[in-house]
Amino acid sequence: MKKKPIILDCDTGVDDAIAIMLANRIPQFDLRAITTVAGNVELEKTTSNSLRVLELIGSQVPVYAGAATPLFRDQVTAGHVHGENGLGGIHLPLHRTVASSLPAWDVIYKEAIVCEGALELIAVGPLTNLGLALVKYHELPKLIKRIVIMGGSATMGNVTPAAEFNIFADPEAADIVFRSGVPVFMCGLDATLQAYYTHDEIEQVGALNNKPAKFFHDVLQGLLSFSLDYGFPGACLHDPMTVLYAADDTIFETHHVGIRVETKGILTQGKTVTDLYSDKKMEPNAYIVTNVDRKAFQTRLCKLMASFN
Amino acid sequence: MKKIPVILDGDPGHDDAIAWVLANASPMLDICACTSVCGNQTIEKTTYNALRIMTLIGLDVPMAMGRDKPLVGDRINAPSVHGQTGLDGPVLPEPVAEPLSINSVELMAQIIDESDEPVYIIPTGPLTNIGALLLLYPQLKPKIARISLMGGGISFGNWTPAAEFNILVDPEAADIVFRSGVPITMSGLDVTQRALVFPEDFERIRALQNPVAIVMAEWLNFFYRFHRSIGYAGAPVHDAVAVTALIKPQILTTQQLYIQIEKTGDYCRGMTVADRFGVYGKPPNATVIMDIDRSAFIDLLVAAAAYYGEETR
Repeated sequence: MKKKPIILDCDTGVDDAIAIMLANRIPQFDLRAITTVAGNVELEKTTSNSLRVLELIGSQVPVYAGAATPLFRDQVTAGHVHGENGLGGIHLPLHRTVASSLPAWDVIYKEAIVCEGALELIAVGPLTNLGLALVKYHELPKLIKRIVIMGGSATMGNVTPAAEFNIFADPEAADIVFRSGVPVFMCGLDATLQAYYTHDEIEQVGALNNKPAKFFHDVLQGLLSFSLDYGFPGACLHDPMTVLYAADDTIFETHHVGIRVETKGILTQGKTVTDLYSDKKMEPNAYIVTNVDRKAFQTRLCKLMASFN
Repeated sequence: MKKIPVILDGDPGHDDAIAWVLANASPMLDICACTSVCGNQTIEKTTYNALRIMTLIGLDVPMAMGRDKPLVGDRINAPSVHGQTGLDGPVLPEPVAEPLSINSVELMAQIIDESDEPVYIIPTGPLTNIGALLLLYPQLKPKIARISLMGGGISFGNWTPAAEFNILVDPEAADIVFRSGVPITMSGLDVTQRALVFPEDFERIRALQNPVAIVMAEWLNFFYRFHRSIGYAGAPVHDAVAVTALIKPQILTTQQLYIQIEKTGDYCRGMTVADRFGVYGKPPNATVIMDIDRSAFIDLLVAAAAYYGEETR
């Protein structure tokens, strides 16, 4: 099997941390690099958290830092969801540093050239790094196979009634990405709210006899209680679902649609406007994931975590 | 049974027409007036259509004409859906009455002011008249029992991906309505796209063979032809749901939500933004209809059509 060359761009973050672990174990992936962006917490933390998680699982995948702030807007973070340190208060050792001072957008371009058009970007934070890469390298769209993102939603938001956090945090960067001409596969709240892990299911992974599984269990405790307080049945694994989707879309429902980002609205800034359900249609530029077979998702994830044994 | 006083405000329009047929047949409603608004077609055409419908169904109440455009901005009409007349399809009787010399907002204010009890308003077009009423006569708010409107959608739009037609045409008016504090029932696309009338249902109505039923079946047929061309399995009779909310609420599923109107944006102007997770911590300002028992809804429409064939009328 020819592996997919992947760069995972993330704002690590509780569920990003799990996504990083999975991306390292997914047999379909040739994980070329982790690039970091400010989002759930500040850039310094998302970078060091990414390094810590890789160290925990003994991975040598290089990490490069990216944008510390959104393109134009004031920074918003989500420490109330991910904890002050971004990892739900869990402390992991750190002995590594970033691979070089090369910024994320240059790494994306460099790898795109090396991979000769096969590179797939998985972005699970605000899209600032991708926006900058697309602005800096005009030929980049021709060099990228596709972009799979966690962000947005067809029908509702979370940080505001209309907008999901990652898109809200940098709507202009998202606009650049959706207008880039590269096919964008959007794993938004429509599907990721279905990709939850209940208390019992988290315990089940925690009982696996390996350190990453123990970390999975511990890092999710804060997010779980936050989610239960909001009336959800479990902790939504937005970013892990996105990584699993990029690996194998067979347990998901996907539709080819038009998606634009609202950057001007007062109540709706950062909304991913989708024509999936409306009479009015737009030029299709993206794919939206609307449903996931939760049980199958859970089984796949559990199997990958068991592979650390 | 004591009837509740209502004002029908619309831009007829096939589904407005069916909503009015339904309202007029209900023993629960005392229709005090009809008013027209610019929406599906120009104000001249919607006014003419309103009068033709009133003549057809024998609704003899004061009728007044609305303004020729939304409160702010250019007018938007929907000839692709309702045809050049705004009510294409069957031949209708010429109006037996004319609009009053006062305008729609003045008529509404007069009816509400003179009513012994609070009045219900059923707007099935853009909210231009209601917005103007609330701006010009805020003292009448306590005498408005409820506004049961067709408009918006908390999950998606139709005329644009994010906005439903009635709200898109006059978002400023909608904003006034949703901020007014007057009780609101919102029948948006979430429910109205499920209020589908299928061809076999048209035939049940046509088989009643009274003049109103025959016209109603033809309206449904015309409305369905457009919707079928864009993938619908039936005719979504949006506006009739706003009437149903007052006369048969037991067949509807509702949610209490805080709704705001987006007035700006490249893509979202006219969107009804619903705070489903309580992010803003505001109390609900609308009862939003989310679902409908479709077969009970069809029975309701058929019964309304049958009313016009009863000899005791």
